[in-house]
Amino acid sequence: MTRTFSKIELLLIAISALLLIVVVPALNAMGMISDYSINLWGKYLCYAILAISVDLLWGYTGLLSLGQALFFSLGGYMMGMYLMLMIGKLGQYKSDLPDFMVFLGHTFLPSFWKPFYSPLFAGAMVLLVPGLLACVFGYLAFRSRIKGVYFSILTQALTYGAALMFFRNDMTMGGNNGFTDFRFILGADIRSPETKRALFIATAVAIVAVFVGCRWLTRTKFGLVQRAIRDSEVRVLFSGYAAANYKLFVFVVSGLIASISGALFVPQVGIINPGEMETTKSLEAVVWVAVGGRGTLIGPIIGAIGVNWMKSWATQAYPDLWLIILGGMFVVIVLFLPKGIVGLLGKLLGLFGKPNTVIDESTAPHETEAAKS
Amino acid sequence: MSAFSANTPRQTIVAAILEEDDAKKAALISSLSGNASADIAPLMAAWKEDAIYLFKTPEDKVIPVLLAEEKDANGKQTAILVEDASPLKDATGQPVRILASDLDAAAHDSNLRGVMKGVLDLQALANPNPAKRILAIGTLGMAQDPDKLPALLSRQSVETDHATNRAFREAIALIQLKDESPDTRLKALVELKSLASLASYDFVKAALAEASAPPENPAIAAAARDAILSIDSHRVTVNTLGTCFRGLSLGSILLLVALGLAITFGLMGVINMAHGEIMVVGAYATFVVQAIFGEGLDISPFGFHLPIPGMHLSGAKLDAYFLVALPVAFLSAAAVGIALERTVIQFLYRRPLESLLATWGVSLVLQQLFRLVFGANNVQVYSPAWLSGNWTINDIIFGWNRVFVIGFTIAVVALVWVILNRTSLGLLIRAVMQNRQMAACMGVPTERVNMLTFGLGSGLAGLAGAFLSQIGNVGPSLGQSYIVDCFMTVVVGGVGSIAGTVLSALAIGVTDQSLQQYLGNPVLGKILVLVAIIAFLQWRPAGLFVTKSRSLEG
Repeated sequence: MTRTFSKIELLLIAISALLLIVVVPALNAMGMISDYSINLWGKYLCYAILAISVDLLWGYTGLLSLGQALFFSLGGYMMGMYLMLMIGKLGQYKSDLPDFMVFLGHTFLPSFWKPFYSPLFAGAMVLLVPGLLACVFGYLAFRSRIKGVYFSILTQALTYGAALMFFRNDMTMGGNNGFTDFRFILGADIRSPETKRALFIATAVAIVAVFVGCRWLTRTKFGLVQRAIRDSEVRVLFSGYAAANYKLFVFVVSGLIASISGALFVPQVGIINPGEMETTKSLEAVVWVAVGGRGTLIGPIIGAIGVNWMKSWATQAYPDLWLIILGGMFVVIVLFLPKGIVGLLGKLLGLFGKPNTVIDESTAPHETEAAKS
Repeated sequence: MSAFSANTPRQTIVAAILEEDDAKKAALISSLSGNASADIAPLMAAWKEDAIYLFKTPEDKVIPVLLAEEKDANGKQTAILVEDASPLKDATGQPVRILASDLDAAAHDSNLRGVMKGVLDLQALANPNPAKRILAIGTLGMAQDPDKLPALLSRQSVETDHATNRAFREAIALIQLKDESPDTRLKALVELKSLASLASYDFVKAALAEASAPPENPAIAAAARDAILSIDSHRVTVNTLGTCFRGLSLGSILLLVALGLAITFGLMGVINMAHGEIMVVGAYATFVVQAIFGEGLDISPFGFHLPIPGMHLSGAKLDAYFLVALPVAFLSAAAVGIALERTVIQFLYRRPLESLLATWGVSLVLQQLFRLVFGANNVQVYSPAWLSGNWTINDIIFGWNRVFVIGFTIAVVALVWVILNRTSLGLLIRAVMQNRQMAACMGVPTERVNMLTFGLGSGLAGLAGAFLSQIGNVGPSLGQSYIVDCFMTVVVGGVGSIAGTVLSALAIGVTDQSLQQYLGNPVLGKILVLVAIIAFLQWRPAGLFVTKSRSLEG
């Protein structure tokens, strides 16, 4: 704990960053990686960022939030509002208003939509809206010491309520169809290979930044308190720490990370609708983390990419069985591999007598929980 | 043949069909007014639908006939005399078979159809079924046709049924509202006020508008205002009580679903996300039982074809399927629950968060299995006759299925209370709930208790599923739509507290329905309920009833 980053680690991070930010896009520009793959991997990276946000809460602080999909889609919606306005008169109805508004008989733009012509404002809202929501909800929840499964159930209810709201047409957020048919982002054609490459680079930069930021945060004293809260909140309280404030901070930070990933996700897939807000989406993100290995930062990335890659393959090869595979995999992982793939790898490495720095960070929370009950 | 010599209704109709003169035709039809014969309605309907044909005998005599339904190979049908419903026979005594397209239909014009409708309307006033009578009276009242007044008054004098009598008074008052004499109108308004009739609201409003316009009639306007006030206050009462009733029935369903959850959650600290799917097991069990009593069912899971033969019952015997379905739903859901407990949950007793995740995985698997076995579309479960009617008391509608679910829930809660407090299994369950380790030390077989409790909780969910199948359609994702509400109910009630669950289910049910009624928007109501719950937990973080514990992290 003397140095935040070891030399090897720094080197590995630098190599992966170089690979993601420079090499892959360059290969794409030279035509060695298809535009489709770049787009697909951009999506996977967004999921990976979302998974990190889940892990920061669940793996490091012991808070299983089922509301991350909400923050993810809020970020997506804020970006989507900007993109909708950028369509301009190119929509089906040749109107300045987004198509769904014309369809619903609106004659003017609702006032809260107007500032979204500015990409800067939209960017600020990507951070502000989910941040504020996380602040208010987190404050209320942690103040009344809602924890454990109660916290999960409440965040689930919050997400459910928000999804119901976004499904409504008079919310003027597109109802069930949400936003789609985007044309331009920052003046560039959103469907051109160059824009897709740029979006991939942006996502790659984001994931590297998030990874480094979280790595730094979890290695500071703050991170230590965070893990202490996970392992025994009462002891933290008795030691004089305001656990609620720590939890609130982590909740807001991870909400922001989820929101950013959503904002990057929407221009790449070209659609956002309330379906993204359902609790199952939050739970899916939790699956990625569980599969990859919680309590580590590399685990969620491996899990998100691995599970989604498998999903792309299985939904084509065995469309009927995909949910059974996913559910079954989840049960097996929870029962037999509580530390996920990373834990399994660690164990295998441990057999060869190599010390592993990743594992000591994630003292399995359930062992301590077992001790206290 | 003199027009009025005919004496049976059938003969009168034949005479009317054959009559050339429009006025006499109408007079013949009107002469049937007040006649209660069951022959009239079908014959008039047939006439209106061009199903009465004019058959010409070789002697050029015209005979009105109906055609029997079955057709032979040439498309010919047996002709049936309108006069006495016997088959038409030719000179040799053989039944005559004719092609419909060879004949002309008996003519009718709009005036005649109007007269026929009048006759039928009045006939409906004498219908032996009070509900149909009330419907017919209501229609007449709404039409406000003064010509119908004498018939209404005469039928009212012989009416004995209380509700029907009320309908008569309402209809008569409505017609009198159109009367020329202001005194009659005034009397009608007073009558409508005392009846507080919801149906007459718009008519009273119209009367008020008319009386307020020149030439003004202040007395009538005042009476109309009085009547509107009385109707409004009656409407508020009806809406409030109706909302309470719907809220109670919704709360009962929530309670049935949440009760099982509360038991497993409270006892084992295990969050069962698959609880909704276990409920759906009960719903599908009901569906299968119904199919076995009825027409049978073909399912083809994983490409295997599995026909389930049906018993082809009907009527009351088919309706009895629901009584069989209840225990079947309970047992099948309990079996799934116990299997789940043995294979997954027993390893996760001290890891509530992990149990949440693992059971979510199970819920995905179960949902997909439902899809593979029963198809992705909703299936419809037929409601027995004794669950599909309703009572209307003082304009408030009490659906039998809702009344039944309330009663049934009371019985189930009582039963659960008895099991928990008066049986040895209940004693063991409570012991494990309070202190698992101590109970184990005293020799309580905690594993067995866990298994049985989980079976009980799941069985209750199965019963809830059987009821949901009576209220809506059954589909693979039915469980998902209830699970959030259910968790809320348990959390608000206080984990492991039956009384708390009962209170919170009813409170959430009634609040939800009232907000829906008040806001006129189901989604907004639901969101407000969620917000209210979050606010409530600020005040009582552990729910309504807290199980006392000395444990710091309890």
